[in-house]
Amino acid sequence: MILANMYELWNSAWPAGLIMLGLGTSFAIVLLIASIKLKVEVDPKVEQIHMALPKIDCGACGFAGCSSYAKAVAEKPSLIGMCAPGGAKAAAKIAEILNLQISESGPAKKPIVHCRATTGDKTIYAEYQGIPMCISANALVNVQACKFGCLGYGDCVAACKFDALHIIDGLAVVNYEKCTGCGACAKACPRNLIEMVPFAHENMMTVACKNKENGKTTRSICKVGCIGCGLCFKQTNIFAIEENLARLDYEKYELNDQTKTAMNKCPTGVIVFRGLTAPEPRQPAQKPAAATV
Amino acid sequence: MDTLNILLMAFISIVLVNNLVLTKFLGICPYLGVSGRIDMAFGMGLAVTFVVTLSGTMTWMIDHWILMPMNLEVTRYVCYILVIAGAVQLVEMYMRKFSPSLYESFGIFLPLITTNCAILGLCLFINLWGIDNLPEAAVLSFGAGIGFTMAICIMAGIRENLNMADVPKCLRGAPITLITAGLLTLAFMGFAGMIK
Repeated sequence: MILANMYELWNSAWPAGLIMLGLGTSFAIVLLIASIKLKVEVDPKVEQIHMALPKIDCGACGFAGCSSYAKAVAEKPSLIGMCAPGGAKAAAKIAEILNLQISESGPAKKPIVHCRATTGDKTIYAEYQGIPMCISANALVNVQACKFGCLGYGDCVAACKFDALHIIDGLAVVNYEKCTGCGACAKACPRNLIEMVPFAHENMMTVACKNKENGKTTRSICKVGCIGCGLCFKQTNIFAIEENLARLDYEKYELNDQTKTAMNKCPTGVIVFRGLTAPEPRQPAQKPAAATV
Repeated sequence: MDTLNILLMAFISIVLVNNLVLTKFLGICPYLGVSGRIDMAFGMGLAVTFVVTLSGTMTWMIDHWILMPMNLEVTRYVCYILVIAGAVQLVEMYMRKFSPSLYESFGIFLPLITTNCAILGLCLFINLWGIDNLPEAAVLSFGAGIGFTMAICIMAGIRENLNMADVPKCLRGAPITLITAGLLTLAFMGFAGMIK
């Protein structure tokens, strides 16, 4: 009985199998011809470089993704070191693949937002009801009193692929744990508030302000703006005053008594720490710590 | 003249009235996945058009000239998938050679045309509707591709403008896309009854 069924099965199945085999073979031949005719020569180095990259397609290098960067590097080795998330490690690997020597590059760069004004600190002239993007809010004058500070509509948040930036209380705040240092936020900010800074230490000191107006005007519109008084500059020369604004030379920065004093003496508390374990910034209303000591 | 008329009718029918995406809900994956930018959507539409034209015509030929005379209709699905997969491979190789930028921007969606239900659906519809001449099958296949391209390009155009719109927070992303797709479908339902 079973045997008879088996024969029946075989008799009805073999033509189907044969047809499938025939079709499959003919397609295989067509594809074989096509694959020879349409062969694309790929440099094996490109694949190796691609493996060495972080493969997160962040676009920090200026190319569409890791694979296109790999291709570009293989052709033009001078592009080496453009991969911010991969950093020195990826650069070293690529150099090895391309048989090159590279000089030591500095510490990895991370973004710092040069503003510390939250909703309560800044003066708003008018309620903005347009497209909720910084780039369009920035095109209108007088939405926010400060022409230099964070608008808080989060263009940088939208640009960040790693969920490392958030608008907290009207201010863009970097989550340094998640940040890869790709620099997309720095390009997105229409006010150029975000700067890629070489993080030589876990926490970097910074002047969290970009306001270039004179002290009086700054004081009148923002509680935590830099008024360009120069107290920090008097402590240590890694600070400099340009156009009513204190700047910190990040290359020379290290945490010592002078910089600590400068931070404490700052009347508006605009010198703050930014980084992985940065402490909460001083409240602007509080008296400078040095004065109370 | 009569044949031409039938062919024209078939074309309009598959593009507008029986649009695979908008009235049959086939091929939704690329329709939602690759409709972010209009140039990519157009490229995807062209790739699908090529594959569907090739596979629709070839499956008709295989069906009518090989399978039906040998009473092997049971293997229809397998054969169809074989043809579609082969055609997709061909498109992929061609694209990689002659348009690497498009090839890269498609990424995973290009090989996924293999499992695009719009294509297998069209091949099976041709069989279901009892199309019994080759020109009509070819026109239907080509029209299905054009219809897909049209639908995905309309969608991409809308989505490009949606980026600038003030969408309520709870609807951002996928929800508003699906609502848009639904409204678009409603609009296309208006064509039903245009051709009997």
